[in-house]
Amino acid sequence: MLCIAGYNLCKSYNDSNQNIQVLRDSTLEVNEGDLVCITGQSGCGKSTLLHILGLLDAPDSGRVVFGDREISSSFPEAPSIRNKELGFVFQFHYLVEDLTAKENVALPMIISGISSAKAQREASTLLGSLGLGSRLHSYPNQLSGGEQQRVSLARALINRPRIVLADEPTGNLDPEHSAEVWQMMQKLNKDRNQTFVIVTHDIESAKLANLTYNLAQGKLNLLS
Amino acid sequence: MDKLERFFFSRYLKSPKRNLLRFSFVFMTLGIVLSVGILSAGLNLFEGYERSLKEVLLGSFPHLTLQKSSGEYFGETETSLLVQQLTSHSEIDQITPAMNYSVMARNENKVRGANLTGYDFSGKYPVSYAKYIKQGKSTLHSGEIIVGSYLASELGKKLGDQLQVVYPRLDRISALGMFPAEFNFTIVGIYSSGFYESDRSMLISTVEDAQSMLNILPGFGKLEIHLDKEYIDQAADVAATLQGSLGSEYSVYPWTMFSAGLLRLVAMEKWLIFIIFCFLVLIAGINVISAVTTIILDKTNEIAVLKTLGSSSRSIKRMLSYQVGLVALAAIVAGQAFGALLSFIVEKQGLYKLKGDVYFIDSLTASISPLNQVIIFAVAASLVTLCIHYPLRQIDRMQIIELLRNQ
Ligand SMILES: Nc1ncnc2c1ncn2[C@@H]1O[C@H](COP(=O)(O)OP(=O)(O)O)[C@@H](O)[C@H]1O
Ligand SMILES: [Mg+2]
Repeated sequence: MLCIAGYNLCKSYNDSNQNIQVLRDSTLEVNEGDLVCITGQSGCGKSTLLHILGLLDAPDSGRVVFGDREISSSFPEAPSIRNKELGFVFQFHYLVEDLTAKENVALPMIISGISSAKAQREASTLLGSLGLGSRLHSYPNQLSGGEQQRVSLARALINRPRIVLADEPTGNLDPEHSAEVWQMMQKLNKDRNQTFVIVTHDIESAKLANLTYNLAQGKLNLLS
Repeated sequence: MDKLERFFFSRYLKSPKRNLLRFSFVFMTLGIVLSVGILSAGLNLFEGYERSLKEVLLGSFPHLTLQKSSGEYFGETETSLLVQQLTSHSEIDQITPAMNYSVMARNENKVRGANLTGYDFSGKYPVSYAKYIKQGKSTLHSGEIIVGSYLASELGKKLGDQLQVVYPRLDRISALGMFPAEFNFTIVGIYSSGFYESDRSMLISTVEDAQSMLNILPGFGKLEIHLDKEYIDQAADVAATLQGSLGSEYSVYPWTMFSAGLLRLVAMEKWLIFIIFCFLVLIAGINVISAVTTIILDKTNEIAVLKTLGSSSRSIKRMLSYQVGLVALAAIVAGQAFGALLSFIVEKQGLYKLKGDVYFIDSLTASISPLNQVIIFAVAASLVTLCIHYPLRQIDRMQIIELLRNQ
């Protein structure tokens, strides 16, 4: 069943009078339960593609389809979809420094209108199941890079989104911590049928995906 | 407050050290405390000045003065009849007949102009100045006199000394010129009301002595009327009512005729000072703007993440404004306390005293009026709120995508 798709996406930037065509007619379909990896050279437009799929940016032309509806970042319901149906993990953890791991994970739930007490209970359970039960009350600067990214992953998952979009989630980690995060995503994909679109330039890890695309010259090519 | 705003707000309250006591807040807080402190001290002192001035004005002058329109004196019987008639007016607290005219007080070759008032001390009529007698006694016999404190010190006289009072009598003009009447009094009391004009010119004697100096028959020049407290501010209305019932033979003058202009001027100066000091708070507001701007820069990542996670700009702005607002409000209250302390110190210090001849009174007192405190709080809070919200507007313009890219 189709989860998210982008059809004929085009995006260009005007940089000092020069028009850079980043995406040229790219099309991507992600089915529920897929673990999709997108690789490509730095600067080829992977983040741009992910931002468009995540309703954070609008394409110049083309459509984004979410489930059975066409949707755009400019729709008034876009924030609510980002909150409830999409999960984001970025290269840098982007955790709120003044909040503990548990509170950070609870944020999307609190934003959706659930009481902070209930949200924090859910967050504790989720962190526990991700092996971070002992780090609930740690602040981000007290966590290792791998732990920080796992907390980010928990935050992306707390509202049980239909899809998690991850932009180089391990790009900033050493191999050991990187493996930790990859294993977790794979496990979530298998155990919970959680859909993932993961941007990475780590070709080895990308082999764990059931679908891998390469983005080059603004077009997506299926690798496996 | 939505759930997110409440969550962050209670989070700030729970661990203030981590969230509220940021370095950029130090100067903001300092600026607010100082400016609000100065604003409030200024207003406290001016309010105190206004109140003490009004108090001494009302203490030194009768609330109403009744005279004959023709300028003649009241006879003894006329006086008692008038007093009887006026006593029926419930607004009136006290009526004191008095004799009052200008004289010169002399100590060898030092001469000062003075204002002699004669009262009846037979017990028939009350007198109201007793609380201002700082030395000696307030009830007089013939040949005794009470002298204003400044007048006494200018003439170099003290309690128990003799004082020469000179009245230029027109009925004793000789070929050699005017031949004034001279009387010797013993100083038995020193009058000190704090109102410079009175303390510099006051002389009080028995009405008999005053009459014999003028060489007139027993009688009074005016009636000094004191009103009940609640009618003091309506003295002009009461005067008009009395005038109506007494007819044109008599003239009634309220205290406001002589002093209201002065009090209005002081009140105007007070609010002028208030407005000027409000600009200090506005300058402190610049610190608030920079503190908020710093926070926004500091928290760009968090703002990006919250927006990504679906929270609205409005809710993010409110969260930040609660955080800064809480500190700012605490600073305003602290500033008001600081202002109270400051005005207390100014009141108690002995280094600087007001010049009585310029400012009418010579002591500085502070008065912390609840209404003024509310006004200060409201004005400072509105200015600070404005300064918080101004920089927060930029959050609306922040595009998530730009924030994510610029990390
Ligand atoms: N706002 C922008 N203005 C101009 N150029 C941009 C902007 N955003 C991205 N680009 C350019 O678009 C290209 C693709 O960027 P990006 O999607 O971040 O690449 P990747 O994530 O694959 O490294 C880059 O060359 C980048 O410089
Ligand atoms: Mg990128």
